[in-house]
Amino acid sequence: MKLLDASKLDELAKTLADAGYRVVVPAEDDEVVRYTEWTPEVTIRTDAFPVNSAKDFLFPRSEVIDRYELQGDDFVAKDVAPEAPKTVLLAVRPCDAQALAMLDTIFNWDFEDELYNAHRQATTVVPMVCTEADAQCFCTSVGGAPDSSAGADAMLRPADGGTKFILEPLTEKGEALAEAAATALADGEAEPDPPAEVPVRFDPEQVRAWLDENFESDLWDLLSLACLGCGACAYTCPTCHCFDIQDEKTRNEAVRLRNWDSCGFGLFTQHAGGHNPRPDQAARWRNRVMHKFSYIPERFSLLGCTGCGRCARVCPAGMAMLDACVRIEEESKKAPAHES
Amino acid sequence: MTQASAKPGAGTEAAEQKDWTPRIVAFVCNWCTYAGADLAGTSRLQYAPNVRIIKLPCTGRIDPLFILKAFEQGADAVLVSGCHPGDCHYTSGNYHARRRWGLFRRLLEFTGIDSRRLFFSWVSAAEGQKFADLINEVTEEVRQAGPFDTSNPARKRPWT
Amino acid sequence: MDLEKMKQDAAALLEDGRANLVIGFRERAGECVPAFVTDADQADALTYDETCIANVAAYLRKPEVRSRRPVALVARPLVMRSLVLLKAEQQLTDDDVLVLGVGDDAYHGVLTLAETEKLLNDQYARLAPDAETLAEIERIEAMSPEERSRFWSEQFAKCTRCYACRAACPMCYCERCIVDRNVPQWISTAAREHGNYAWNMIRAFHLAGRCTECGACEAACPQGIPLMLLNSLLAREVRDAYGQTPGYDAEAQPVIGSWNTDDDEEFIR
Repeated sequence: MKLLDASKLDELAKTLADAGYRVVVPAEDDEVVRYTEWTPEVTIRTDAFPVNSAKDFLFPRSEVIDRYELQGDDFVAKDVAPEAPKTVLLAVRPCDAQALAMLDTIFNWDFEDELYNAHRQATTVVPMVCTEADAQCFCTSVGGAPDSSAGADAMLRPADGGTKFILEPLTEKGEALAEAAATALADGEAEPDPPAEVPVRFDPEQVRAWLDENFESDLWDLLSLACLGCGACAYTCPTCHCFDIQDEKTRNEAVRLRNWDSCGFGLFTQHAGGHNPRPDQAARWRNRVMHKFSYIPERFSLLGCTGCGRCARVCPAGMAMLDACVRIEEESKKAPAHES
Repeated sequence: MTQASAKPGAGTEAAEQKDWTPRIVAFVCNWCTYAGADLAGTSRLQYAPNVRIIKLPCTGRIDPLFILKAFEQGADAVLVSGCHPGDCHYTSGNYHARRRWGLFRRLLEFTGIDSRRLFFSWVSAAEGQKFADLINEVTEEVRQAGPFDTSNPARKRPWT
Repeated sequence: MDLEKMKQDAAALLEDGRANLVIGFRERAGECVPAFVTDADQADALTYDETCIANVAAYLRKPEVRSRRPVALVARPLVMRSLVLLKAEQQLTDDDVLVLGVGDDAYHGVLTLAETEKLLNDQYARLAPDAETLAEIERIEAMSPEERSRFWSEQFAKCTRCYACRAACPMCYCERCIVDRNVPQWISTAAREHGNYAWNMIRAFHLAGRCTECGACEAACPQGIPLMLLNSLLAREVRDAYGQTPGYDAEAQPVIGSWNTDDDEEFIR
C-alpha cells in the first residue's frame, strides 16, 4: 500500500505541484472552506464541507467561448482553446466525483463540449473517503456512498484511526499521479477506517413515480413557499450545469461568455415576448426537483443528484432537496398515485 | 483622440505608462456646467485636453452607475459638475444629486477609489474661467495620482 | 423568552382568521430556518433564538405570501424596522401584517404595525450597531487606497452572483432588478470582478438609508463575503451626515429620495 501521514497532505500537494499539477484542495478561507488552488499559504481542511463543488474547475463560473478582435474594418475570430492545465482534484468528496458521470453525459450527449472535455481530460480525480457526515448528507439515498469510488482515478482512504491515508490508484491517471507523488508516499500496511454512516432516507424510485403523476399537485406550492429564488443551491451543486450566454465588448474586442445560471431565478424562462412558462416559484422548484429525479433519470438512466447536501447548507431559507424527496415519498404513500 | 490604438484596461503595460496622460470623464449638466464649458471655449481660455465631457440635462440624472461605468471602461478619474444649489433648471435636481454623491463617494472611497480620482463641483453658465481652472487643477491632481490602479475591482480586466 | 405564549398566539391567530399564514422559525439539522405555518396545529414547531437571523419580511414580496394576507411574522427589532420601513415606502399597510415581536430575550406578543412602531421607539430606539463590524470598517478605512483595493478585490473574487444577498433582503423588492435589465446591460452578469464590484456597490447604494443592518444578507452569502461592512458603512454615513436611522417612522421620507438645503457639500468645489 502507498501510505501518507495524515498530517502530510500539504507535502503531497507540494509534491504534485512540483510535478506540474495544478492542485485543487479544500482550504480554509476565513469562516468558510472552499475548493481552491493549492499554494503553500493555504490551510487544507478535510473536516468541513466546502461551499463550492469541484465543478468549478471543469465548468467555470464564466468562460470565454468565442472571441473576436477588430483588425482594421473586420472582426476577426480568435482561437478559444481553454487554459486546461493538468489538474488534480485532491481530497474532494466522493459526491463530487459521483457528479462527474452526470456532467460528462450532459456535456457530451448532443454536442461535444470541447471546453468541458479539455478540462476533464486534464483532470485527475482523487476523492477522500468520508469518515464523517452531517445531517445534510444523503449520498446513500441516491446510489452513492461515503466510500464510493465512482468517478475516481485514485482514492485517499483515512486509515489507522485517522493517522494515515492510503492512496489507492484505480485508473491510468491514478497510477501516473501515484508515481508523481512517490517521494511523498511510503510503502506499508494500514487498516482503512470505517466510512461514515449515512442512513438511507428515501427511495428515488418512489419519488420518481410520484413526480411522474403529480405535475399539477398543490404540494409544490407548499414545498416552495420558503424559496426566495436565488441561485445559491444551483451554483453550489456539483451536478447543476445550466448556463446563460452573454456577449461583452470593448471598442476593439468582443467576447461571448458562458456564465452560470439558475433555474430558480424568476427570469430563467422569461421569453422576450413577455410569457414565462414557469411564472412562479412553485413551478421553478418543481422543475428543479423533476430535473434531478425524473427528467435526467428518464433520459440518461442516471440520477441528477448525488446527495452531497450542499444546497441545504447554503440555502438562506432552509430549503433542502433531501426534505423535498422525503416529503414526496411520504406523500406517495398517503394516496394512490392515480388520484389527482 | 490620440489613443485610438490603446486598449482599455491595459494600464499595467509599461509601454502605455510612458505615454500615459490622464483620461478624465466629466458628467455635466446642460444648463450650467456645459454652458460654462462652452463659455470657456468661446472665451478662448486654455485648459487641459484630458477631459471627455458627457452632457446630461441635470446632475439629478446622474446615476452612480455612470461613475462606475466610467472607471470600468478606462477612466483614471471622474468629474461630476452642475448648477449651484438654488439655481437648478429643474428646481431641485442638484439637491438630489448632492445627497446621492455625498453617500456614493464614501462607498467608493471605502473600496479604494478616493478623492484623488472623484471630483464634484458647481460651475455655472457664467463661470467659464472657473471651468477652465477646474479642469487644469483636476488634470494635474490626477497626473500626480497616476494611472488608475488596474488591480482595483472596478476596472474591467481582459477576459480570460 | 415565553416561547409557549408565542406558539399559542400563532395558533390563535390562525384559528380565528386574524392571519392566514404565520412566518416564523423552526429547527432543522441544528439550525434555525424559516417556518411557514398555515394550520394552528403546526404552530408547535415554532422556535426562536438569536441564531434566527433570516429577515422574514423578505417573504412579503412573494405573490404566494401576499395572497395569504394577513400574514403574521415573527420579528426581532431589526426586522420590525424593516416592516415599518416597508410601510413608509408604501409597500405595506396595517391590514397586511401582524407582528409576533421578539427581542432582548422577551416575547412582546401580537402587535399591529402601528404598535410595532411604538414599541421600537419606546424600547429599541438606540440599537447599537454591531461593534465588531464598526471596528472592521475602521480598520479598512485606515488602509491606503491600494490596500483597500486589494482587500475588496479578494472579497469580490469570491462572488458567484447567486444573488442570495438580494433574495434575503426585505428591501430588495424591485420586480425587475437593475442587474436583470439588459437593454442596456449596465452591470455585467458574469461572475468576474468588475461585474461583481458593480453589483455589490449598486446593491449597497440602493440600500443607502434603507438598510436596517439586520445581517440577513451576509448570513445568506454562501461565500462568506463581509457584506455588512458595506451596508454598515453607508448606514453610519446616513446617520452622521443626514441624522437618519430608517425604520422608526412610517411617515419618514426616504433618505436618498429627499434632501435638505443644508446638506453637506464640503466635498464640492
